[in-house]
Amino acid sequence: MPSPLELVRRLRYLVLRDRYTAELEEEMRLHIQHREARFRERGLAPGAARYAARRQFGNPGDHQERSRDMWGLRWLEHAAADVRFAVRRLRHRPGFTVATIAVAALGIGATTAVFSAVDAALFRPLPFARPAELVTLTDVNIPFEQSTERFPEGRHSLDINDAVAMRDVFASTAAFAAGGLNLSDPTNPRRVRVGVVTSGFFATLGAAPQVGRVFTGDEGRPHGTHAVVLSNALWQQRFGGENVIGKPLDLSGTKYEIVGVMGPGFNFPNESDLWVPLTVPTTDEVFAPFRGYLPSWVIARVAPGVSVPVASARLLANWKRLAGPPTGKPGGVDEFIAEATTKGAAVPLKQQLVGDREKAFVILMGATALLLLIACSNVANLLLSDAASRRREVALRELLGATRGRIVRQLLAESVLLAFAGTAVGFLLSPAALGVLRAMMPGDLAGIAPAELNLRVLAFATVLALVTGLVFGIWPALGTSRNDPVETIKAGASGGATAGGLGGLWRALITAEVALTVMLLVGSGLMLRSLRSVLSQELGASADHVGTLEISYPDGVPKAQRLRTIHAILDRLSADPAIQAAGVVTDVPLRGGGNVAFRVEANGAPTSRSADGVPYARMLEASGTYFKTLGIPLLRGRTLMASDDSLAPRVAVINMAMAKRWWANADPLGQTFRFGGDTTLIHVVGVVGDVREISLENNALPQVYLPLDRRPPENLAVVARSALAPSALLARITNAVHAADPAQAVYNVRMLDDVIATAVAPRRTNTMLIAIFGGIALSLSAFGVYGVVSYGVSRRAREFGIRAALGATGRNIAALVGGEMAWIVALGVALGLGGAWALSRVLASQLFGVDSHDAVTFVATPILLLIPAAIATIIPARRAMRVSPTEVMRAE
Amino acid sequence: MNSSRDQIPPGTLDMLVLKTLAPRRELHGFEIAEAIERTSNDVLQVEEGSLYPALQRAMIKGWLVAEWGRTAENRRARYYRITPAGRKQLQSEIAAYHRVSAAIARILSPA
Repeated sequence: MPSPLELVRRLRYLVLRDRYTAELEEEMRLHIQHREARFRERGLAPGAARYAARRQFGNPGDHQERSRDMWGLRWLEHAAADVRFAVRRLRHRPGFTVATIAVAALGIGATTAVFSAVDAALFRPLPFARPAELVTLTDVNIPFEQSTERFPEGRHSLDINDAVAMRDVFASTAAFAAGGLNLSDPTNPRRVRVGVVTSGFFATLGAAPQVGRVFTGDEGRPHGTHAVVLSNALWQQRFGGENVIGKPLDLSGTKYEIVGVMGPGFNFPNESDLWVPLTVPTTDEVFAPFRGYLPSWVIARVAPGVSVPVASARLLANWKRLAGPPTGKPGGVDEFIAEATTKGAAVPLKQQLVGDREKAFVILMGATALLLLIACSNVANLLLSDAASRRREVALRELLGATRGRIVRQLLAESVLLAFAGTAVGFLLSPAALGVLRAMMPGDLAGIAPAELNLRVLAFATVLALVTGLVFGIWPALGTSRNDPVETIKAGASGGATAGGLGGLWRALITAEVALTVMLLVGSGLMLRSLRSVLSQELGASADHVGTLEISYPDGVPKAQRLRTIHAILDRLSADPAIQAAGVVTDVPLRGGGNVAFRVEANGAPTSRSADGVPYARMLEASGTYFKTLGIPLLRGRTLMASDDSLAPRVAVINMAMAKRWWANADPLGQTFRFGGDTTLIHVVGVVGDVREISLENNALPQVYLPLDRRPPENLAVVARSALAPSALLARITNAVHAADPAQAVYNVRMLDDVIATAVAPRRTNTMLIAIFGGIALSLSAFGVYGVVSYGVSRRAREFGIRAALGATGRNIAALVGGEMAWIVALGVALGLGGAWALSRVLASQLFGVDSHDAVTFVATPILLLIPAAIATIIPARRAMRVSPTEVMRAE
Repeated sequence: MNSSRDQIPPGTLDMLVLKTLAPRRELHGFEIAEAIERTSNDVLQVEEGSLYPALQRAMIKGWLVAEWGRTAENRRARYYRITPAGRKQLQSEIAAYHRVSAAIARILSPA
């Protein structure tokens, strides 16, 4: 156990090494001289005395060395020398050095960035206490205050109170929904994201407030006081972190009292700025500010010792007890139970939140892993050719007396240096890459927690690069030094071209690289073709030159006033000669909201869910001018009119999908249906074209458009079509709103094109990333092929010279070089296509309008690869053609 | 050289050096070598150079400190002096030596 002082002494020696060595030498010289003097005193002749003294002393060099060993720093001196030597060697070959470092850094940087993003979205535990205990409860409702009126046939699913009662299964139960409200502010009215949560929400997640309290049971009951809990971010932003407990906050015209502030980082669900109570049972009052609907989730924390499957089974059993024997009634509880049985009645919260993203991420991760493998095999290739070219040097040094260990240490120094440099650049690269990725990644692709540079991933990629560097930097060299050095040197400039299995290893590496690239390219090709077919999908409306913004009316603005301002906005816009058409709708297509559907009873008769799908139709409220503004064709009948108000008979416009679903063999005009459990019959007055409201990938669903004038909505989107520049058009729409009411907050002010772009953004991002990876892989492979062929050419220059001297034409020699590579690439392509064929099934869920074994992709990809591979082969092969026999011979 | 001299047992050189310097003496390398030879009646023989790695080690361990001084002939020489840590080390080495040699003597003595 060296004491600290001892370490200091050792370090002192390291610094003053030269002085110490000189002193020791002086000391030993003195010793020998003294001894020599003694021998002469005893009568020895001067020569004999000197000889005897030296003999008795031993070899001073030896003793000097052993003294240095005592200081224990010889390995360090050697290592320093090795590193200096390696640096010198690498500096002499900047091309090789930069290429190796760049490829390694690329692999590490890309992998770290993507895996960090995926890790945040998929693998990181939810940022709640004991997240594994949290589950969502499928099809468990929050009872409505007047539920019997809404569901005349009685309850057909469990509600949250049933789950709360299961105390032995669920330790706590809560519900939440996400919406937006206007935060009133005289200077800056803004839209805030709101979590609407039951009073048990925070406790269920295990989140405690930083200041004040969360909701009490009273605030969770209908018609309770209006309390609000702020997120830490909003608190800091708007109140600068001052004491706000008990202060009022105006949200969409309703006064709330601030009761608490959450800790930093807590913003669930949907990056909430603040939370307001969701009452149980819920009421119209809760729903009203949120476009009339609030898709809510019921979550629970399973009791200690209860597993998720057990909780799920218990919940289902309760449900069956409630439902009684199967009714066989269409749309009845049996159908719900059947669905819950397959899906699971209690699903881990994380699984529910991750949802569809999982597949996309797994594929992205696979693509990254392929890229990392390609980068590694490229590094291996580079090192391999380098090591092979050093065989002669290694053999020579061995002959000159260098030990195996010494040579290996020296090669090691070089590989480690390269690997570290690559890693360091990769380190620097990965935060930037993650930044790009974060910017590219649309919100709903990202995770609950923000993506951070994941050090474990960085460590993994680094270790992989280091291992690659070490294995491929040293192993070939080791193989070399096992050969008889004399033979290697005798083999001449070709450096033992025939020796060892390096050729085989090389071919294997290039084959693997080509195969992996083909797989990645096929994947990118399929994704790109899917993106194209999605983008070419008919929206059913023409989105270009349409501007939109959204407004919400505060609670308590009377119906008549809402209607008046809507009409004022529309009148002002239609009076503008630059605006061709303007309308109002509750939700524009692909906005990603309002995805609720109501049960349809065509001609008063209930329909069962069948092969044609569920007996539901989506509902929108729209002005008659909405269809013209978006270019939605009116196919039959008439559009909605201002006269379709609350005094007129109830009418609706439906889409083609709805007409086909219920009245395939009849004239839909004049048909009637009941909607959403309402008792009044609605008359169909018009049929319009289908619009893909939810996503471009999915066909339009049955759709009901109800007149705006009957019950003007609290939340709506204004749309206007004009040839004006987007900024001018959006300014005019905003002005029209403010002319009607200067205090009205507007949000989501954007062109409809942007709404659509946002809707396809996840697919576009994923596709682009995979395509970029494919491109990088392609250039890496071409680079690898080039490196191997050109090394082969220089290695075999002598052979080519002899062949040329014996009469081989340049063409013969080029064929010799190219032929070998052609076989290797062909094998790689074949293996890659096979791999892609097998793997493309994984991709199937992400594809759209393209078969996972799409012939075009599978044929085009090899061609895409063959062109750069051919170029990478031809350039060095042409060099081989020009090998001059006389020059080669002279070089010998 | 006289082959009747005995090689010193490995590891004992440290002890001999410390013992030589123990009586508060300051000696340079050659004087230490001579002192060991003299006190052992020339029975023990050291390849004299091997004294120096031992001295270096003793310095690293902090058993000895050294200072440059002048010899009687006015030559620069490094003089070694024992430290308290060196004395402790010497004691424990002597104790260990006695334990081991007593054990060996018991084994070798006729039963």
